[in-house]
Formats: sequence, structure tokens, C-alpha cells
Amino acid sequence: MTMQPAVMELVNVDVAYHGDIRILRGLSLKVRPGMITGVIGPNGAGKSTALRALYGLLKPVAGDVMVDGKVVTGMKPWKFIDHGIALVPQHRSLFNDLSVEDNLRLACWSFRRDKARVEAALERAYTQFPMLRDKRRDKAGSMSGGQQRFLELGRALALQPRMLLLDEPTAMIAPRISAEIYAFIEGLPAQGISVLLVDQNVRQCVRIAGHVYVLELGQNKVDGGAEDFRQDSGLRDLIAEWVDYRIDA
Amino acid sequence: MDQLILNGIVNGLIVGGVYALIGVSLTLLYGVLRVVNFAHGEFVIAGSFLAYVLFSHLGLPPLLALPIAAIAFFAAGWGLYYVLIPRLSRSDDPELMSFLMFYGVSIAAAAGMLLVFEADSRSIDYTFTPISVPIGPIYVSTARLVALAIAVAISGALAMFLFLTLPGKALRAAIMNPEAIQIMGVDIVRLSAFAFALASALAGVTGVLVALVFPAFNAFSGPDYTIIAFIVVVLGGLGNPVGALLAGVIFGLAEQLATVFLPQSLAQIVGFAILVATIFLRPTGILGSSARK
Repeated sequence: MTMQPAVMELVNVDVAYHGDIRILRGLSLKVRPGMITGVIGPNGAGKSTALRALYGLLKPVAGDVMVDGKVVTGMKPWKFIDHGIALVPQHRSLFNDLSVEDNLRLACWSFRRDKARVEAALERAYTQFPMLRDKRRDKAGSMSGGQQRFLELGRALALQPRMLLLDEPTAMIAPRISAEIYAFIEGLPAQGISVLLVDQNVRQCVRIAGHVYVLELGQNKVDGGAEDFRQDSGLRDLIAEWVDYRIDA
Repeated sequence: MDQLILNGIVNGLIVGGVYALIGVSLTLLYGVLRVVNFAHGEFVIAGSFLAYVLFSHLGLPPLLALPIAAIAFFAAGWGLYYVLIPRLSRSDDPELMSFLMFYGVSIAAAAGMLLVFEADSRSIDYTFTPISVPIGPIYVSTARLVALAIAVAISGALAMFLFLTLPGKALRAAIMNPEAIQIMGVDIVRLSAFAFALASALAGVTGVLVALVFPAFNAFSGPDYTIIAFIVVVLGGLGNPVGALLAGVIFGLAEQLATVFLPQSLAQIVGFAILVATIFLRPTGILGSSARK
């Protein structure tokens, strides 16, 4: 059986803040096509930093970022959309004073002159999340946290990406809405969208991911298929150490 | 007394319109680029000198100088952006570095204007017909009313651009969330260059209006307008274009009405008193709460 190439990859990446404080040290990970790749780890492990490095928001001081097997290290964040890769960051990425519809239209920036395509993208977002259609004239900042997260997801999906990077998608979201969001994420590979899910919610991440990376102090600690994490008592104990939570066998 | 108050209000609206444009260009620059342009006043005065040269050497009236200033300053701003700003982003503290760098630009620009135009104050002796227009019991200079009309038209056009067009909304979005606009696929470097060029064009056009509204200007006038721009920006809320337009008018009215009710020496500190009061009572400015979310 031939392995499909990774959609995105970090290869021995070092990222440093303020000159030489290395947050990532020799980190490598692959985002596999057609599945959810999970990244978990304790606070400060470098999960979000890894995702920011993948998307060009941080430039590695060593190592490479690759897309479809090609080195794209240093590529600017606004170019990733052209490669069919969208990001929903942990912190709110909405423009609060703009309407819901304007937030969606801005996501169509790269093809803004193609009116038919823009309208189709908007329709896709409204169909996916009908609540957005009802609130399209409201300011994005006036919506609840869960609604804002749905807008961010709808905005990313409106672009028909082949890959979605998600950073803590349910952080500070009510449990009922979180369950909806995870169900939504779980359905993305069936739509042909590969997912990189960075998450503190170990149970949900391991449950829906096909492959999981564990990070610690900016380095690879261990990685494996989600089934390994459910079956291997050593891995379960490792995770229990830092999250005070045991994955059910 | 009523006549004096009416005079103060009309003059306040006229200079307020000019202050609004000075402030809105600086706040756009800060909002999108997070750079503190300490040379903004010199950009404005350079616009005044451009109008002066076009009028005194080529005989072009100030109204014709407006589009020329807009195009020339837009192009110069675009080029200047690529020369100056990318270097700042490599600094650990770009805002402080921008302040220091533009302080240097301010000195260099003033020295350049001094070399070319010398230290004498200049004015444009262009007269509209009629020279003045009656507004109730007072007469107001036509040139100043034309300047007010232009300031209102430019403010309106700018507001329409910012609120009704996608590039304008992208500029506002960049002010609200500079990282998020990049993940929308917007090239932040080009957008920032556009913001710098737009702010420069506004400064140049405002310089032409300064030449129409105020009696004279010289190579050393720049810092006065820089200070006014900072007052307007803080009063309106950092990075808030609508706040800056409103604040410019409020500041202009306060300044001019103060001359009616207070001795001249006291009237001059009213603007600064407003600035200090704003920082103490409403540090986000009059519309600052919604400037960046």
C-alpha cells in the first residue's frame, strides 16, 4: 500500500520568541489527508505555536514547513488560502464591528471580483449554519461565543478548503455547543476536508482523530493512531500525568 | 455677543474640518500599521508648499492643486512605505521605533523645506469672488467656506469608502484584528502600503486646505499640526476614523469658541485641557470603545 503524501508537514522545526527562547525544538508532524490529525499536550507544550508556524504566522528559525511535499517555509499567511488551506485560530478572528455578512465577504477576498463565486460561498456558509443567514445584518461582535465560533467555521468552509487548521475550537464554549462543534468537525473528512485539530480536550480529540501527536516542551513526545491511545496503557498513563484525566480503554 | 458666538461656531467648523482630516489620516496610519507618524505635520505643510508652488510659479489655483496633491502624495506615500516601514517590522518594539524614526523624518522634512523655501512665512494670495459671504450678521471668507465644503466632501467620500466598499471594510478590519485579516487571504503588506499612501494623500490635500484657511505657513509649522493631529486621534479613540472626524470638529469648535469666552492666552490651552481630560476620564476616546475589538 502506498502512503499518500502529507497535506502539510513540519520538519524538525525550531521556533523562537525574543531571539533565542526556543518554544519549538526539532518538532515534526504530518497532517494526513482525509482524516483528522490531533495535537494534544499540556499547557505550554507549543501546540498553538506549532499551528502558527504551519500557517506562516511565525517563521521557524530552523526546519521546514511543507505543503504537498514542497517546502513553503516563510510563505506569508495570506497565501495559504490559495493552497486551499484555512485556519480558525484559538482567539477570536472575527471583525466585531462588521456585520456577519461582511465577515463572510472578507473571507472571499482572494476571489472578490468573481461575484457568482462570492455569492455561492456565502450561500454555502448560510446552508451549513442557517443561524448565520438570520443574523447576517447583525454585528459579529453582538453574537454569543458559540455563534461567533460557528461564524468562524462557516467563514472557513465557505472557501471550500481541502484542509482546515483548528486551534482549540471549543475553548470557552458551552458544553452543548461544544458537542455540536465536535460533531461538525467529525464530519469534515467525509466532505474531503483534512483537519489538523489542536485541542486541550483530550477525550474528544482522541475520540475523533485518526492520528494523534503528543507534544511536550516544544518537542514530539509520542504519536500514533488514535486506537493506540485507547488501547495502550502506557500512553493512557502518560496523558493522565499531565491532564489528570484517564482515557477510557 | 451672539455675533461673536456665531463667528466662533463658523470658524470652529471650518478649522475643525481641517483638523478632522489631519486626525483621520494619522489615525488610519496608526490603526492599520501601528506606526506613530511624528512627521505628519510636515507632510501637511509639504502639501501647503505644493499648493504655493503650483499657484505662485505655475499659476494653478488651489482647487486644481487638490487632485495634484492627492496623486503626488499618494505616490510618494506608497514609495515611502516600502523604504521606511519594512525595516520597522524587524524591531522588537516597532511602535517606539516608528516614533523615533518619524521624529527623524520630521526633522529632515522640515530642514528640506527650509532649504528650498527658506524661513519666511508663505501664503497663497488667491481670492475667490466674492471675497466673503454673509451668514446672518457675519461675513465669512469664501476661501474658508470652500475649504470647509471640501473637507466635508472628502470626509464623506472617506466614510463611504470605509463603510461601503470591500477594500474600505478590509482597512477597518485590519484595524480591528490585524492578524485575522491575513488569514482571510488579504496581503497585509499591500493593504498597509495602501493605508500609508491614502494617509499621505489626505495629509497632502489637507495641506492645500491649510493654505486656504490659515493666514500663513512656513517650514517650521509642521509640529503644530502634528500636535493637533495627536490631540484629535486621542480624543476620537486610537485607530478610529469616525472618532477622529468627530474629534476634529469638536476640537476646532472648542478652540474657536474659547477665544470668544476666554482671554487669548487661556484659549490656547483649551485643546490641551481637553486632551488631558480625555486621557483621565475616557482614555479610549469618545468613540474608542469600538475602535479595536
